[in-house]
Amino acid sequence: MTVSKKTLTGLGSAVVMASMTFGAGIAMAQDGPLRGNIRVVIGSTSTGGDTYQNSTIVVDKLAEQLDLNMKVDAVGASSAFRTLDRDSRGNTLMIFHDQSYLGYLYGVEGYDNIFEKYTVGPTVAINPGNAYLVPKDSPYETLDDIIAAVGDGEEVRVAIQPGGVSEIGFSALKNAISIEHPGQEDNLVAVNTGSQSDKNQQLFDGQADVINGTVQANEQYTRLPEDDQKAMRFVWLTARQDTIEQAPEEGLGQTTREQLLEYVEPNVHVTMGDDETFTFDKEFFFLYNKDMDPAIVDQIDEALTEIYAEGEIQEVQKNSFFIPNFKPSEEATEYLQEKMSRYEEIIENIQ
Amino acid sequence: MEFLSLLDLTFFLLAGFGALVGIIFGAIPGMTATMAVAVCLPLTYALGLHHGLALLLGLYVGGISGGMVPAVLLNIPGTPSSITTTFDGYPMAQKGEGEKALRVCVVASVVGGLISAAVLFLFAPLLADFSIKFSYVEKFLIILLALSVIASLSSSMLIGIFSGVIGIWLSLIGDYSISDGGNGKTRLMFDFMEPYLFEGFSLLPVLIGIFGISTILLEAEKGVKSDTTNKRIKIGKGAGFSLSIFKGRLTNLVRSSFIGTFIGMLPGVGGSAASVLAYTQEKNLARDSSQMGKGAPQGLIASESANNALTGGALIPLLSLGIPGDSTTAVLIGAFTLQGIQVGPLFIPENPETWYIMMTALVFANIVMFFLMFYAIKHIAKVVMVPKHILYPIIVMMCVVGAYAINYGIMFDVWTLLIFGILGYLVQKIGLEVAPLIIGFILGSQAEVYFVKSLESFGTFSIFFTKSPIAVVLWGLIIASVMFSIVMGVKSRAREKMELTQITGSTQTASGKGHDSNSR
Amino acid sequence: MESGLSSLLSVSIDFETSHLYFPRIIHWIMAGLFAVILVTKVAPFLVAVKRGERTLPIVGEPMDGWRFFGTLALIVAYFYLMTVVGDMFPYTGYGFLFVSMAFVLLMSLMYMHEWTKKSLTIVVVNAVVAPSLAWFVLAKLFTITLP
Repeated sequence: MTVSKKTLTGLGSAVVMASMTFGAGIAMAQDGPLRGNIRVVIGSTSTGGDTYQNSTIVVDKLAEQLDLNMKVDAVGASSAFRTLDRDSRGNTLMIFHDQSYLGYLYGVEGYDNIFEKYTVGPTVAINPGNAYLVPKDSPYETLDDIIAAVGDGEEVRVAIQPGGVSEIGFSALKNAISIEHPGQEDNLVAVNTGSQSDKNQQLFDGQADVINGTVQANEQYTRLPEDDQKAMRFVWLTARQDTIEQAPEEGLGQTTREQLLEYVEPNVHVTMGDDETFTFDKEFFFLYNKDMDPAIVDQIDEALTEIYAEGEIQEVQKNSFFIPNFKPSEEATEYLQEKMSRYEEIIENIQ
Repeated sequence: MEFLSLLDLTFFLLAGFGALVGIIFGAIPGMTATMAVAVCLPLTYALGLHHGLALLLGLYVGGISGGMVPAVLLNIPGTPSSITTTFDGYPMAQKGEGEKALRVCVVASVVGGLISAAVLFLFAPLLADFSIKFSYVEKFLIILLALSVIASLSSSMLIGIFSGVIGIWLSLIGDYSISDGGNGKTRLMFDFMEPYLFEGFSLLPVLIGIFGISTILLEAEKGVKSDTTNKRIKIGKGAGFSLSIFKGRLTNLVRSSFIGTFIGMLPGVGGSAASVLAYTQEKNLARDSSQMGKGAPQGLIASESANNALTGGALIPLLSLGIPGDSTTAVLIGAFTLQGIQVGPLFIPENPETWYIMMTALVFANIVMFFLMFYAIKHIAKVVMVPKHILYPIIVMMCVVGAYAINYGIMFDVWTLLIFGILGYLVQKIGLEVAPLIIGFILGSQAEVYFVKSLESFGTFSIFFTKSPIAVVLWGLIIASVMFSIVMGVKSRAREKMELTQITGSTQTASGKGHDSNSR
Repeated sequence: MESGLSSLLSVSIDFETSHLYFPRIIHWIMAGLFAVILVTKVAPFLVAVKRGERTLPIVGEPMDGWRFFGTLALIVAYFYLMTVVGDMFPYTGYGFLFVSMAFVLLMSLMYMHEWTKKSLTIVVVNAVVAPSLAWFVLAKLFTITLP
């Protein structure tokens, strides 16, 4: 912008010509129903977060497979839904995770029932890292200790981000307490806070007894010596046992898969009543505009089936501590709908 | 010194190239360091961790520095943290001292950058432990301290504070964000606005709208006279640049660098608070700060050394807590996770090579930035010689690109430009002050979160006074700052009365072409 | 006394309505300041206007209406058409590219005072080159999404 006019003029014609040639090259030779440039919006505004990272892995492979220009844009949930609403041509797709329906269940403004308003596409991966931690010198050794303490009338404060993925484990815990120790569940108090650093801060300040976190972000804190103010300890990973079992053997950082398995069911038991144990896997999946050509749904399903059959993407995902979990659209819709109704029950129970 | 073997020519070339591209991004109004890093993030896949970091850190340093260029020359902050640079930079450019102003900025920048790098290298783990002593309460007080600059910045304290409060009010429009721990409900708007305003107005489009677009509207109203360009042509005339400008300014330089590093270190407290705070402190503590806001190099020194010191500061919590200190370092985390490297409290002990590599890249990028900028300034400053009828359409176009791209493609952000362009125009016309308003806007939403969350946790107002010794110290600073601006206000009013009788019509205030009808 | 003070200072915020807590405080401060300004600044100003010593902002000032409202209209058309054209070529940035060319050209022409052949050429070349360059570097090289 600050180049002098003379240089600009000189460069001018060459650049215009070059750019036109480049531009003309896009998206001319495709035969599938998807055409042109594709933009994949995600429900997170962070380009350093797991949604972005996972979406990039999948979208890059997909772009290669379909020979299309595809681009991930971290516009955030509300904008992503709105952008998707406006485009039924298939040039806009969305990738998000369980927050998309949990936000609706928790009645957060800006979230609708995704199963009614959108077409749910294939699932692609799980982030198994959703965890609950206590300070290393906490009196609570296990999650059972916490449940028992709350049952005895002790107040336990849990720092979470309200209205979604971070809250669901808390809700389940509250539900479990109301089943095992009816009437005591109000002793489990939510400390509503924001980012991971805010949650950690609440723990350091002694304003929370338990925090929601992730294996990825908090693993190093669990390896600090006990006398460090920042030291923490896992008490619960919400993932299913067989999800963690698929993680690489060396686990994450210096915490092995073996060690991580100590914090999942059946070692940690959060009841949902009737012998059922609560688990939560944070799953990533596509969302499409309701009026989009169904042929595109099939096209993406097919492309992903081929990609996952090749087996390379699984390695990439596992390297970044994601568990590959491809389910084509129809199967994914059914599965997620069932998942949502289970959590709906929990949330209704504790209200 | 095993890491030395990892340094090759490519490493230095990438860091230098990063600095160059970063400067260009920073210099385009609306394009930020964060965007530069985000855009180049995919490249690091191919480059590998160490080379990738060299590039990204170069972009980071360059991007933060580049913001000074439009701030000084066009009165549009290239990045939010260069807002205070416009206060003194643009008046200097109007006096024909644009080149000198830019050189002051560059020197201040490199000093700030290097000081913060040194602090990072020597004290990172120690400071990280200190930074977690700052909870919601202390962070609120820091914001309050930064807000206290409004009082001393405005030409009429009453109008200034009112403008600041309007700014805060504007920043509250939208939802009380869940990602800050709020309840996600919207306020201060009608239902039909919700699809657009759910997340409120975003900072950058507001900034470039209120500075860039409104400046163009004000010019358009006057008919975009071409003769004014002649007046601006005398760049380089007037007093030239020499290092002697920094004589007696060393305290300012060092203090501002430390303030910048410190604010960068606090997660969640935005980078723009750094330069605002450094500016406040210089205004309060300098022996003679009466010229600040009218084109004093000391304001530039405070602002630019602080905002470049952010770089090292923001890396402290990133590398020793795994928590980003600002939005750019949040993107940097992506580079580590892409390579399967965890950042957290054990990052430095477990990855000593990467740590040394990063330090080398950071220092080198600062030096490259310095030489690139210092010698390119002569040419860059010529941008003011471009006739307005060519320059203005391009500014509008680049503002559009920046606004659209800042949140990865949202059209409403472009309309925000126009809304705030018109608002900025009206605000100046009816005699309100732009600078306090924008500072209120920048800090408002953080003030809310920290204030409400503190009360939610502790349930009493007294916590703001009794939380910790740090809180008490901060109160001391706030009171001193307010007292000082009152004293200054009284003094300068007396002086202005004398001056105003001599020169009417050329009182350019910090708010640019402040209409100022009320204080006359 | 001590307990009286602490109960005076104690506060409990309901999470469900916490989004209104801070705005309410700001509203009160704003209203208070506005009242003070009305009395101390605006009222004397209006009196001065009445006496003919001062003029009202905007309405009472001379202005180049053609360029001012032309700028506003151009910007509105620019923003609007960018989406419309961009929608025809999804996510290629062509909306930005083509509409910017027209915008830069028209705005330059509107702001130009002396129409000479030389300056016209510069304006036209600039209108073609500047948007192309921006588009090429950002949309193509850096794959930034543009309208």
